[in-house]
Amino acid sequence: MIADMTLSRLLAADVGYLVLPVVLPLLGAFLMQPLARVSARGARILGPLLLVLSAGITAQLWLQLGDAPFSLAIGGFAAPLGILFYADRIALLFALAIPVFALLFWPEFGPGAGGRDQAARRDALMLLLVAAATGLALSGDLFNIYVFYELAAVASFGLVALTGTGRSQVATFRYLMISAFGSVFALLGIAILYMQTGTLNLAQIAQLAPETLPNPIGLAAFALMLIGFGVKAELFPVNTWVPEVYAGAPARVSALLAGLVSKLAVLVVVRLLVLIFPQPEAAELMLVLGVLGILTGELAAWRAKDFPRMLAFSSIGQLGMVFVAFSISGEIGLLAGLAVMLHHLIVKSALFGLAVRWSGSLEALSGAAGVSPLASALFVLFALSLIGVPPLPGFWAKILVLIGLAEGGTPLDMMALMALLLATAIEASYLFRVAIRLYEDTPTPVPPPARRDLGVAALLGALLLAVTVGLKPVADRLGEDAAQLGERALYIQTALPSHVARKD
Amino acid sequence: MMSFTFETVVLIGALGLAVIGALGMVISNHLFRMLLALAIAESGANLLIVLTGFRAGGVAPILGAGDPAASMVDPIPQVLVLTAIVIGVGVQALAVALLIKVYQAYGTLDVRELRDRMDADVAAAAGVEADASQDAPAGGRPLSPAPSRGTAGFGRRSPAPADGLRP
Amino acid sequence: MRNLASLLFAGGLAFLLLAIASQLAFGTPSMRVGAEILAVAPDEVGAANLVTAVLLGYRGIDTLGELAILFAAATAAGVVLGRRHANARRDPPGGEVLRTGADLLFPLLLVVGLYVIAHGHLTPGGGFQGGVILAAAFFVIILAQPTRHLRHSLISWIEGLAGAAFILIGLWALVEDGDFLAPLLGQGAMGELLSAGTLPLLSLAIGLKVGAELAGIMAHIAEAEAPDA
Repeated sequence: MIADMTLSRLLAADVGYLVLPVVLPLLGAFLMQPLARVSARGARILGPLLLVLSAGITAQLWLQLGDAPFSLAIGGFAAPLGILFYADRIALLFALAIPVFALLFWPEFGPGAGGRDQAARRDALMLLLVAAATGLALSGDLFNIYVFYELAAVASFGLVALTGTGRSQVATFRYLMISAFGSVFALLGIAILYMQTGTLNLAQIAQLAPETLPNPIGLAAFALMLIGFGVKAELFPVNTWVPEVYAGAPARVSALLAGLVSKLAVLVVVRLLVLIFPQPEAAELMLVLGVLGILTGELAAWRAKDFPRMLAFSSIGQLGMVFVAFSISGEIGLLAGLAVMLHHLIVKSALFGLAVRWSGSLEALSGAAGVSPLASALFVLFALSLIGVPPLPGFWAKILVLIGLAEGGTPLDMMALMALLLATAIEASYLFRVAIRLYEDTPTPVPPPARRDLGVAALLGALLLAVTVGLKPVADRLGEDAAQLGERALYIQTALPSHVARKD
Repeated sequence: MMSFTFETVVLIGALGLAVIGALGMVISNHLFRMLLALAIAESGANLLIVLTGFRAGGVAPILGAGDPAASMVDPIPQVLVLTAIVIGVGVQALAVALLIKVYQAYGTLDVRELRDRMDADVAAAAGVEADASQDAPAGGRPLSPAPSRGTAGFGRRSPAPADGLRP
Repeated sequence: MRNLASLLFAGGLAFLLLAIASQLAFGTPSMRVGAEILAVAPDEVGAANLVTAVLLGYRGIDTLGELAILFAAATAAGVVLGRRHANARRDPPGGEVLRTGADLLFPLLLVVGLYVIAHGHLTPGGGFQGGVILAAAFFVIILAQPTRHLRHSLISWIEGLAGAAFILIGLWALVEDGDFLAPLLGQGAMGELLSAGTLPLLSLAIGLKVGAELAGIMAHIAEAEAPDA
C-alpha cells in the first residue's frame, strides 16, 4: 500500500520535481567512480541516461505547468527564509537545452585515453557541469546562484585539464586564477547587497532595491558582481583566459563552455540587471564593456592563425554584442539579447564541434572542402549567419540590436552602433577568408570531421534553417519570453510567500 | 572622517586584505605567489561577509550556550562564509595540483621563464623556429605530448635557475 | 610600468570601496531574514546550533552544492595528477619521533573529528569542520610516512556513498513530504545528541565525504612524483 501511494505520488507531475534536473546529475556524479569499478558499461550509460531523464522531467513540467512562471521553495521552507527555485519560460528553455546540448557533446563513449579511471572522472565532471548549469538557470537566491556558478567553474577546470598537456595545464591555472579573482569580487558585491537589504532572495532584494540600493552603493555592488559573473560570460576585461583555454581543451568541452555555460552566466547578469539594478548607469557600464569586448574580440579573431583560437576570439566578440543588446532598455533590448544569445548557442557550439578535427592552423585547412563537403557547407552556413546575412536568424538578431541602439540615440548608443558595424565588417573579412581557403583546389592534410561531430553540426544547421523558415512564430514566442523576463512585478509576485507556501 | 571604532578598523582590515590579495594576483610574476595572494584575497572577502552579521554586544547563535537574553548575531553570514571557505579550499587544492604538474612539465613557476619555455616547447615539437606570435602555434594539432614529461626535459635544456620553485 | 598602473588601480579601488563601506549600516544590521530565522528555527528544525539549522535546513541545497564543489575539485585534481606511477620516487619517511607522534595522533584526531561531526547540531562544529579534522588525521600519517599509500578505491567508495546518502536522504524527503531535503524523523528534545531529525545524519554524511575527499587529494599530491633535488 505504501508502494502504491509512493508510485502514484511519483507519477503526478509535482512542482517539487523541479529540483530533480539539478539533483539527479549530482547523484550520478557522486556514484560514477564507485560504479565504474563495479561495471564499466554501467558507468558509461549512467551519464546519458540521467540526462535523458532530466530532460524528460523538465519537458513534462513545462508542458503541464504551462506558460505562467512558477516557483518552488526548496525543503518546504518558504522564501525568503529558504531558497527558491524560479521557473519562467526562459529558465525552462535553458533547463531543457542544457541536458540536450550535453548529450550532443557528450565525450567519446568508451574510456578514451587515460583508462577507466579518467573516463569515470570525466563523466562525473560533465554531470557536475550539467547540474550547475541547470541550477544557474533555475535558482532564485543570490548565494545559491554563486554556489552553482562556482560549481560550474570547478567542473570546467577539470574538463579543460583533460588533455593533459603542459600547455593546457598552464591555461587551466590561468583560467582558475582569473575565475577566483572574479569570485572574490562577486563575494564583495554579495556582502554589500546583504548588508544593505538583509536578505538573499532575489525577489525580496528586488522589492527593497529602490530604497536600499541607491547609487553609488547599488552601482558599486553591480560592478563587483558584473566582474565576478562576467568571467564565464567572457566579459571584457576578465576574458584573457578564453583563447588558450578553448584552444587547449577538448573541442567538445569548448563547445559546451563557449556555447552553453557562457549563456547561463549572461542570464544571471540579466536577472540581476532586470530585478535589482534598474538604474541606467548599470546598463551603461555593460554597454561600454560590451563594446570593448566586441572590438577586441573581433580584431583578435582577424589576426588569429588557427581555427580554435579564431572561434574563441569570435565568441568574445559575439558575447560582447550580447551585453550591448541587454544594455538597451525596454523590451526590445531583452528580445535582441535573447535572440543573439540563442543564435550564438546554436552556431558556436556547432562550429566548435567541427573544430574537433579541424584543430590545426588555418593554412592547413586549404582544400578541406574536397574531403568533407558537408562540413565546409555547414561552415559557410554558420559563417553567413554569424556575419548577419539575411534571411538567416543571425541577420534578424543583429538588426534587432542595431535598431535598439538607433532608437536609444545617446552618444554612447551611437558609438556602440558604429562599433557593431565595424565588427561585422571585420567578421565578414576573416570568415570569408577561411571559407575561400576551404574551397581551394589544393590537397589538404586535415582529416574529415568524425561522423558524430558532423552529425551534431548538421543537426544544429538544420535547426538554424528551420528557424529561418519559421521565423515569425519563433520571433513571436521569443518576444513573449522576453516580455516575461522583463516583468519585475510578475517575478516578485510569483516568488514571495503568499504564492509559494507549500508547507504550513 | 570616520571615527576609528572597532568596527571601522575591522572593516578597513577586511577590505584591505581583499584589495592587497587582488593586487598581488595581478602583479605577481610567480605562479605560487599568485596562489598565496588569492588565499589572502579570499580571506578578506570572507571576513567582510562575516562582518555583515556583526552586532555590538551580540552572542553566538547557539541556544543554551550563553545568556539567553542577549541578542544573537545573524546566523546567515556565518553559513555563507562556511560555504565560501570550503569552496576556496577546493579551488586552492586544485590550483596546487596544477602547479605540481606545471612544474613537472616545465621546471619553473616563474611566469616569464614559463612563457619562454612554452614557446620553445611548441617550436621543438614542430621542429621549426619558435614563432613569436601567440596566435600562431607552429605545428599541427593535437600537439604531441610535451617532451618534458617528468623532469627529464627542459630542466636541463637551457641554463636553469638554481631553483625555479623558490618564491 | 604595469606594476605602477596596477598599484594605482588598486589604490583607487581601495579608496572607492572604503567610501562605499563607510555608508553601509555597519554594526547594526537589518537582519531582515536573520531575525526571523532566529525566532522560528528552534521550533521548525529543532537544532540548538542555529547555524547548523540554517546550513542543513533552510539552505540545504547550498550545502549540497558546496559538497559538489569539493567533489569536483577532488575529481579535477585526480584528472590533473593522473595515475600513480608504480616506481614514482617518494619523499623519505620522517624520523622516529615524527612517525611515533603521527601514530599517536591518528586515533586522537579521528575521535575529535567524529565528536565534532556528531555534535554539529548542538555546539559549534558540524560536518565540514569535523570532516577536515578527520582528513587531518590522514594528512599527519601521509606527511610522516610518505611511502604508505592510502587505498584510493576505499576513498572513492566512501566519497561516493556518503555523497549519495546525503542526496538520498533528500530524495526520501521528496517522496515522503513532497519537498526535497525537508527535515524528517521528528525533532526530539532540543539539546539531545539525537535531536533535530535527519540533521545529524546529514552531518555524518558530509563529514565522511569531506574527510575522504581531502585525504584523497592529499594522497594524490603526495604520490605525484617528487621533484629532482
